[in-house]
Formats: sequence, structure tokens, C-alpha cells
Amino acid sequence: MNGRVTGLATRYAALIRAAWLTDLQYRAAIAIWLVLGVAQPLITLAVWWAVAGGGEVGGYGQADFARYFFALMLVDQLTLAWDVWYIDRWIREGELNFRLARPLNPIHEAIADNIAYKMKTGTLVLVVWAGIALVWPAVRLELGPGRLALAVLAIVLAAAIRFVSTYVNGLLAFWTTRATAIAELHFGISLFLAGRIAPLSLLPPAVADVAGVLWFPYMLAFPVEVLTGGVTTAADLLRGFGWQCFWLAAWIGVYRAVWTRGLRRYGAVGG
Amino acid sequence: MLAIVAEGLTKHYRVKVREPGLGGAVRAVFRPRYRDVRAVEAVSFRIEAGEVVGFLGPNGAGKTTTIKMLAGLLHPTAGRVEVAGFDPWTGGAAFKRRFALVLGNKQQLMWDLPPEETFLVNRAIYGIGWADYRRTLDELVELLRLGDVLGRPVRQLSQGERMKCELAAALLHRPEILFLDEPTLGLDVTAQETIRAFVRDYNERYGATVLLTSHYMADVTALAERVLIIEHGTLLYDGALAALAERTLPVKRVTLVLAEDVPRAALARYGDIREYASPRVVIEVPRRDAAHISARLLAELPVVDLGIGDPPIEEVIRAVFEGAAQAERARGAGAAVGQPDTERPASGAVAEPDEAETGEQR
Repeated sequence: MNGRVTGLATRYAALIRAAWLTDLQYRAAIAIWLVLGVAQPLITLAVWWAVAGGGEVGGYGQADFARYFFALMLVDQLTLAWDVWYIDRWIREGELNFRLARPLNPIHEAIADNIAYKMKTGTLVLVVWAGIALVWPAVRLELGPGRLALAVLAIVLAAAIRFVSTYVNGLLAFWTTRATAIAELHFGISLFLAGRIAPLSLLPPAVADVAGVLWFPYMLAFPVEVLTGGVTTAADLLRGFGWQCFWLAAWIGVYRAVWTRGLRRYGAVGG
Repeated sequence: MLAIVAEGLTKHYRVKVREPGLGGAVRAVFRPRYRDVRAVEAVSFRIEAGEVVGFLGPNGAGKTTTIKMLAGLLHPTAGRVEVAGFDPWTGGAAFKRRFALVLGNKQQLMWDLPPEETFLVNRAIYGIGWADYRRTLDELVELLRLGDVLGRPVRQLSQGERMKCELAAALLHRPEILFLDEPTLGLDVTAQETIRAFVRDYNERYGATVLLTSHYMADVTALAERVLIIEHGTLLYDGALAALAERTLPVKRVTLVLAEDVPRAALARYGDIREYASPRVVIEVPRRDAAHISARLLAELPVVDLGIGDPPIEEVIRAVFEGAAQAERARGAGAAVGQPDTERPASGAVAEPDEAETGEQR
């Protein structure tokens, strides 16, 4: 068992190193991704800032919106997953072949790549955020060690759900050439149901109720609320973490089923 | 000891047929039509450990599909495969450590990084110890003459240098079985020769089994004593390369250098004139009469030099395919007049493998 863990750790270290070295070749592309990732929450913040004016919208004042969307920006970067784009290419252009011939499930390469990206950009966004928080008190967070630990846990679970669901989306390329279009649709829905456009409490109650039982808010809005102190009671925390664990387990189950069936289909029709 | 066993190996695909144009696209959505593709049809062969076997056939013949089934990437529709004692489809990591798959048209090298970075990733993935890694890499660097390319980004390497690095990346774990699919594709003559010499050395040094597909006959004649010839998914020949010419084209080529011009008509008495560029003339004669006719040529004509050889292997292979095509036509004609024909698809579907649709390019 120990040998297996060490072996996996060695493989991850090598893959993360390679991902970093590759990213160094694409500094400009990463900067653009980062700017895009930061711009969307900031633009949404600007809109809500104007809407709130000096008063409140659904209990959110300007400072609350600022805190929410800055936390959203951070959590979004830390939970980002883009696997659908290259898994689609692996499958359709035959790059999966040599990966299948190696004694390592290709998902490990995807996870390592994801971790490598976040270790860089996550740190960068944290530094940017800390810098802004120094001069703009509105975006500062009241984080004790307990709340910080909960926020880290919520972010890790959210990142895992987002990664596995995106990976599964990529695996749909075994059956369809429109896997990336499905990913766009998923992102479009997440704009509303994951809390990107507005905090969930501002959505119509029926929509918020539907969102509450789906995986979308647990990929973004829930960790954001944990980070900003929006979720306070033990019952709400427990419910949120419970849903996160449920959806992570569910997506892992879906991944296993889709991967096994996808490989069988790939093996049957050659991609 | 057997390294590879294929018995009745068969691969059929069902592919969607799309007609061109907007109407065809719309029809394909509402009434999709399918056709069966018989990529590989009941292919059987056995390869001993340490053998180098050439796998020949035109594009879309089923070579790559067969290799992918042997490597466990594709699941056979029917038949049995055993590679290094494993069922490739269920062999898992233990099986994957035993072979290497090199696809000439796909690369595993990381494009933006020097090749050694891919080697390091493969070292970790295959769990190769540092000492073994260093030793194997040193040997590969020497055999492939890689010294000055290891530190340059892959994108700056020539195609030949990249293929040499692909081979090194695939062989770091010292596989006992090599599936090489067009390893010299698009390479210049020097690079092709380097790759050939390397494959020969690797086979001799480690006793590795090699199954090699190539469009270049020189690859096959330089490396393989045995060839498998496949067309339309069916194995046409399995045997020694040397015996192929004897069986398929039972002729010899007599090359003459003449002291003076001899009219074509005079030469035609001896055999079929294949080249007439006085003073050099090439005459094709029946294999069994070669010695006798050569003696007559020497006695009756002003011969300065005479050589006897086999026809070029490309022509032999072409003759194999032409023979198969004629047999196919004969069967087709037989079917047309109502004779039973058990080898034709029952559905009447076109059985020609389509490269794009069967994933032959992968």
C-alpha cells in the first residue's frame, strides 16, 4: 500500500513538474485566462454595486457584494476545471492511444495538470486579493482558524466536484463530437445556479430551491458563503458539506460508469 | 516461446453513413443509416519471442486496427489474442509494462519541452528506478545518437530527431514487445536508416519481439525475415520474405551488360524484356529456366556482364495484391451468377474499411 502511494506521489510530482514547465512556455495565455477569470466576477460586482447604491438588495449592501464577488473570484480560480477541452481532443484526435498504452489512468495526468495550474494561479489571486484588501476594507474577510479550515475543506470538495463533472463532460466525446458544446451549456446554467451572477439568496425562491439540490452551488456559491461568513449555523454548514459529499460521490460514480462504458465504446468503434 | 498469438482475430465496425450536403445532414439526424465495416477478418498468426515481423498492406488494410487490438486499445469483435501471456483487453498495468506502442503519426513527446522531460514523466509512470533509468537512457542515447537533441524543445527538432526521441520515450521501460506502426513515416533516407539500425540493435541486444508496419519496403527487407501481408482485413500471406517472391512471382531477372547493341527482337527470344537501355538490358525469365537461359545468353550474345536476381520486393507485393484482387473479382462474378459465396457480408454492405471512420489514423 505504502509503495503504491509513494509510486503515485512520484508520478504526480513528475506530471506537475512537466505541467509547470509547459505553462512557463505559455505565460501570456495564462495571464489572459487569469484576467478573464478575474474580470467576470468584477464586472458582475460593478453591476450589483450600481444596483445597490447606498441601500441594500436582498440584504446585500455594496460592501457585502464586494466581499461576495471577491471571494467568488478566488474560489472560481481555485476550483477551475477545463478538462473537457483537451479530453475531447485526446479522444477525437487519437491522443488517447498512447495514454491508454501506459500503465496509468489518464485521469491522473488531468488531476496533476489541474493541481499544477492552481498552485500557481491560486497563489497569484490570493496575493492580488490580499493587496486589494489592504487598501479596501470592504473585501476583507473575518476568518478565524475554524472558519478558515471549513472554507478550505469546502473549496477542496468544490474543486473535486467541478473537476470530476468537467472530466465526465469531456468523456462524452466517446459518443459525441459536441462535448465542448455541452460544457458551454453547463457553464451557462452555472452562471445562475452556481451563484456567479448573483448570490443564491437573490434568486427567485423556486429557482434557489432547485439549485439547492443540484451540484451547481456546491461547486462555487457554498464555499464562497463559507468564506464570507454567509453560512453561519451548524445545520446549514452540515447540510452544505453533506450535499458536497453526496455530489462528489455521485460524480465519481458517474465517472466510473462513463469511463468503463466509454472505453468499451472506443474499443468497439475506434473512437 | 510465443510472444503473440492471434486466432481468428476479427474487428467489425458499424459506422454512420452521411450523405453530402444539407439534405444529407438533415436526413442523417432523423434517419441515420449505418454500414458495416469489416476492418479485420479472421486473422490468425503466431509470433515467437525475439522475432521481427513485417506487417504489410495498403492504407486501410487493417494493419493499425490489428496492432491496436494487440495493444489492448481495441476490443476484438471475435477471436482470441494473447500478448506476452496476457489478454490485452484485461491485462491492465502489468501488461502495459511489457510492450511499447509507437505510432508514427502520433507523438507522445511534450511539444514545448525538451524530450528528456517526457522521458522523466515516463520514468515516473513506469516506476523505473533512477539507476535503471540512467543506464537505459545512456544506451538509447548511444544507439540512437541522441546526444545533442535531448536539451532542445521538441518543437525545434527535425522529424527524424523527434521519431528517435519517440522511440527512446517508448523504450525506457525496456519492453519485450514492440509494436511499431510506420516508425519511419515522412523521414529522410538517413533518418530511416538510423531507425532501422536501432530496431535491429534493440532486437539483438534485448531479444525483443518486433511487429513493424511500414510503407517503405526497405524497412521490412532490412529488418524482417517474415512478413504478414494483409488487405481488406484478410491475411493474404504469412511466411518468409524470401519465399514470397518464389511463390508469388516465380521469375528471375537477368541483368546483362552488352558489348554492342542487340535488337529488341533478338533479346525477346530469351524472355520478357523489362528494361532496354543499351548496353544495359534486364530480361525476366521463368525461375526454373534461369540457369539454362543465362548459359544460352552467355554463349549466344556479346555479354560483358551478367547478373541474376529476384524482382524488386515492391513488385512482388504488388503481385500479391493483384492476385488477391483478381480472386476477389472472380468471387464477385461467381456470386453474380448465383453461386453461393460464404465470404461476402450477408447484408451486402461494402466491406472496405474506411480509414477515417475506423480510426485507422489513430
